[in-house]
Amino acid sequence: MTHRHLMTRSRAVALAATLLLPTAGCASSSATAPGSDAGGKGRGGTLVIGATGKLPNPDTVIGGAGFEGKRLVSFQIYEGLTRYDLSVTDKPPAVTGALAESWQVAPDAKTWTFTLRKGVTFQDGTAFDADAVLFNLDRYLKKGSEYWTDALGAAAKEYAGGITGYRKLDADHVELVTKDPNGHFPEDLAHVLIASPTAVKLTGSAKFAQHPVGTGPFAFSSYTEGQQIELVANKTYWRGAPKLDKLVVKPIPDAAARTAALRSGGVNWIEYPNPDDLDSLKADGVQVLTNSYDHLWYWILDTTKAPWSDPRVRRAANFAINRQAIADKLLHGTADPAYQAAPRATAAYDKAGDAYSYDPAKAKQLLAEAGLSGGFASSVTVPTGGSGNLVPVPIAEAIQRDLAAVGIKVELRTTDWSTLIGAEAKGEVALGSDAIAQSTTLFQSEALLPLFVGSNSPFWTGHYANPKVDELLKSAAASPDQAKRQADYRQALGLVTADAPWLFVVNDRNPRALSPKVQGLVQPQSWFLDLTTVSVRP
Amino acid sequence: MTGFLLRRVLLAVPTLLGVTVVVFATVALVPGDPLTAFLGPGAPPEARQELSERLGLERPLPVRYLGWLAHALHGDLGVSISAQRPVQELLGSALGQTLLLTGAAFLLVLTGGVLLGALGAVRPDRLPGKVCGALSTLAVSAPQYSVALLLIAVFAVRLRWLPAGGTHDVFGSGGPADLLRHLVLPAVAAALVPLGLTAKVFRAALAAVLAGELADSLRARGLSRAAVLRHCVHNASPALLTIGGLQLAYLLEGVVFVETLFAWPGIGRLLFDALSARDLPLVQGGVLLVAVAFVGINLLVDAAHAAVDPRVRG
Repeated sequence: MTHRHLMTRSRAVALAATLLLPTAGCASSSATAPGSDAGGKGRGGTLVIGATGKLPNPDTVIGGAGFEGKRLVSFQIYEGLTRYDLSVTDKPPAVTGALAESWQVAPDAKTWTFTLRKGVTFQDGTAFDADAVLFNLDRYLKKGSEYWTDALGAAAKEYAGGITGYRKLDADHVELVTKDPNGHFPEDLAHVLIASPTAVKLTGSAKFAQHPVGTGPFAFSSYTEGQQIELVANKTYWRGAPKLDKLVVKPIPDAAARTAALRSGGVNWIEYPNPDDLDSLKADGVQVLTNSYDHLWYWILDTTKAPWSDPRVRRAANFAINRQAIADKLLHGTADPAYQAAPRATAAYDKAGDAYSYDPAKAKQLLAEAGLSGGFASSVTVPTGGSGNLVPVPIAEAIQRDLAAVGIKVELRTTDWSTLIGAEAKGEVALGSDAIAQSTTLFQSEALLPLFVGSNSPFWTGHYANPKVDELLKSAAASPDQAKRQADYRQALGLVTADAPWLFVVNDRNPRALSPKVQGLVQPQSWFLDLTTVSVRP
Repeated sequence: MTGFLLRRVLLAVPTLLGVTVVVFATVALVPGDPLTAFLGPGAPPEARQELSERLGLERPLPVRYLGWLAHALHGDLGVSISAQRPVQELLGSALGQTLLLTGAAFLLVLTGGVLLGALGAVRPDRLPGKVCGALSTLAVSAPQYSVALLLIAVFAVRLRWLPAGGTHDVFGSGGPADLLRHLVLPAVAAALVPLGLTAKVFRAALAAVLAGELADSLRARGLSRAAVLRHCVHNASPALLTIGGLQLAYLLEGVVFVETLFAWPGIGRLLFDALSARDLPLVQGGVLLVAVAFVGINLLVDAAHAAVDPRVRG
């Protein structure tokens, strides 16, 4: 349940074309498109992407169209001090330097010194330096300063909210201080995008979205309201100019219309094709790329409402559902079954942590132990759509059938996604059900983890509380040592798996369909994408 | 005539006010809020609080409504929460697209409706009349979404004669011809139901006139079939005016799904996105615009009706 899911869902230079990921039920989908060798023969072309949501507001962190807008537009125009290394397909992306080359953290885990990359210029020719960093942090954090707006301030809070001090040490060094020890601060900064001070001053913050300028691989070209946003290659990009000439993003919210647009040649790439269309698309020569990322589709159960308050009942439900059938038959291999809380493609995932399987007999036995051999009735609120939610109602119906087979009769109550998350953010359940169905990207920001499983979350988490989980998350967040964080997260999510406050269902594989002309895409284990390696042959 | 029109205009004012009250209350009272939509569900509570204060969401609903109304009366519809741009700007560009689509569809409705209706009325027992009747029924009853997908599947995907959506081709040269190609499928999809209805109503009206005394007397005077038909069509035209006006209004507000399916950047799609984001200023402005258009069209139809038929002036 992160930004991305407001509208949709959601991380390679090329490893070789050898990486046809062998995955269950998805053998014909890969994580790389032909020509994805770093040297790359292909060059040029116009990539037209049919997106699932509306066009984003291209002013840095505001987004306004969920994470899809960030993936396809904001992260292409701008960069933060750090970035995800999206060049590998076989493990979750590491955080690496972008506008900062390197950094050091003081023993207090709060004071960070960043060495800025030299020789980088914004797309308008302005040189990037420490003053540009400070200008942008003022714009996000210094209430009342000339280019600060409340919308920017509010939007920046999620990733930059913990910054309490920042200063320039010299032209190439800045010091940032966080309120609390924050081990994942470098990752947070990948989302704190840096805009050209010259461009902001020229237009003022209010109109910057109409002429956005960053340091990213693509420069803004034009925005046609409701129709498309057009970017062009930044030929002076510090990592090397992207292969494409032009990148166009068009909003096509209807899945059938997206498929038709790809087939008719109006676009040459679509995000999240309807899983039902995949076989026929592949038969037509369309490339379907998939890869795991930190996604989980799940039900949050109200752990204070009987009988869900009994862990045996929650475990019983987890043994009752046939996830493999949902992943293979309903989602046509675009998802993997989830047998634990930690999504695949996260540092917290360990296959040995798979705690559940499809075992209706065991489910019945657990229900009998809980004194519910006659079954019981419950209810769940299911969104009708929403980013990252895949095909929520059919998935919920499949779960409903499986649960009914062991005696748990669930009433499905559907509502729109805005209503569901709006209520959830206020600590409520839309339509007053015993559970909600939704998806999330648990590790999009480690800072968000306590919102999902922490006992003090302002969100509706099914009232789940485990002090040991809280302790582990706090200890992880405070440590700059990634190995320690990983071990803590693994342990914390292991506890969540055992407590089963959720019904773990599937991990999405982020499918996208590409015309055979599109070459060089490497699909990382991430919601985000590196489009610099992509080209479109005539 | 002037008094009649004045009364109509005065009646329109409370109608529009009523629409704004209902929309404001509905969007404000339904679950979901613009803060989550704008900031994302992961936003810290203090960010939500700040934005909520800035947007004035803490104030009582009537106060918020009156504030909005006062600005609206001065031509200021506020700033879209999700786009962070003035509502008028967003509505302006979308309105042009919707008018274009609606206009094209309406042209199809009128020409198709009159042709099918007239053929059906003139030759009710012959094959052409029966075919026209069947076509009208098919147009009215075919599920619009499926028909639209069928149109895309046949003309865009299989035959590749026409584009599947959007207003112009990224790979093409652009220009009016390109726009026209993009307009065909959404206009046909939007026009089908109103076309069928128009044909049915016009057929009934024309058939009634053709079977009435006027037609008999014209025939008795030895007028040719064509002349009789011309006179009868004229007499049946008030029905066409009424149904046409209604269908135009229906088209204006009913193109939401067509705009969504064909990625046509009009008011319908703008409103759909705004509703999903609970973007109250944009929803309110958009609905007001549609309501004004609706009332305006009705007013025009009434005026035209009064001009054609003096009895309705009262």
